[in-house]
Amino acid sequence: MFNSSLKPFACALACATLFTMPASAHGILGDRFFPATITSDDPFAADELALPTFSAFRRGDGGPATSEKDYDFEWSKSIAPGFAISFAGGYIDTPSGKGFDNLEITPVAEVIRDPDREFILSAGVSFDIGRSGSRAVADSFTTYTPEVLFGKGFGDLPDDMALLRPFAVTGTLGYAIPGTSVTSRSVEWAGALEYSLLYLQNNVRDQGFGKFVAQLTPIVEFSMETPTGTGGGGTTGTVDPGLLWSGQYEQLGVEAIIPVNRATGRNIGVVAQLHFYIDDMFPDTFGRPLFGGAR
Amino acid sequence: MRRILLTALLLTGASSPAGAHAMLEHASPGAGAVLRVTPKSVVLDLSEALEPAFSSVSVSDAAGRDVSAARMVVSGDTMSIALKPLVPGAYRVTWHAVSVDTHRTQGSYTFVVKP
Repeated sequence: MFNSSLKPFACALACATLFTMPASAHGILGDRFFPATITSDDPFAADELALPTFSAFRRGDGGPATSEKDYDFEWSKSIAPGFAISFAGGYIDTPSGKGFDNLEITPVAEVIRDPDREFILSAGVSFDIGRSGSRAVADSFTTYTPEVLFGKGFGDLPDDMALLRPFAVTGTLGYAIPGTSVTSRSVEWAGALEYSLLYLQNNVRDQGFGKFVAQLTPIVEFSMETPTGTGGGGTTGTVDPGLLWSGQYEQLGVEAIIPVNRATGRNIGVVAQLHFYIDDMFPDTFGRPLFGGAR
Repeated sequence: MRRILLTALLLTGASSPAGAHAMLEHASPGAGAVLRVTPKSVVLDLSEALEPAFSSVSVSDAAGRDVSAARMVVSGDTMSIALKPLVPGAYRVTWHAVSVDTHRTQGSYTFVVKP
């Protein structure tokens, strides 16, 4: 028996299964490795686990700033090559209340995958399940957010721009539809600009980096929300510069959280994440798609 | 919070060496190398053991002509290919790797031989 909040999710799951493309895994597209991003979603449907993601910042919300600490997780499970479902949640700690956030379920399907151009386009729908979390901190209503996600590496730049080839961008564009008229709908837009030292070392110019340095990716992410209804306020969001280190099975990331305006918050916060590539850790069991697991 | 982090780190350490994507760790000649001495071969060291039947490396000149002198050799996590005597010019190395757990990776780069 389905909760009414889950019926749209079931439909999205069934529809997305029809439009999947064969996929490699784990952010690898052509010659490029796209690391998992922290404050924005990346477009890959893969077996991954982000546990934990810890963030600390002072939220504005238009009134007195309040400090907030979040302890989050996200588990992404591939169902078929190019199609995965992620489950995300966490614990929110604020002076005015503490508790578990709502569970968020997001099926994502890779629609276009062009290894030669290092380009990927995906589509998904996020379901923030109302009342699945603590009343003290989580929304009582469900929010549906259809979104498109993309990634583009610049490995196809001409030879005289070779040092720019290690750059890549990822982005998401979604429309949040809350299941209440009290909260405005909003456009959610986010992305990342990254420079892969591994790509520089292996595909452009061997700099003689040691293994540790070669696995670093300097990155700048951003995460923004623009209400579309009247009374919803203006755009809020953060810019998050930082550094990712990607190993064979795991990734560590640390970024500063810089509010773009007072309405978002004051002072600079921080986010740190430990991320696991389940497809490499357990390629024959947990890390392969449930259906059609050929790679 | 400490328990979560410790558990996560233990999971990392306890993960079985089941294999992973074979990433390029070292290449000779390296990407973007400018050489005065003609290399006799291209050697690629990857991070994982390879499936020889599904892995490949090729070297071509600026016109796209193959300049390899023999078949590629795969030994464990290393691929190598012997080269014909090279004339001055730019050359492209293109490689595809399939690790023993069937993960696929690829890469390409250029090097130059100067007179």
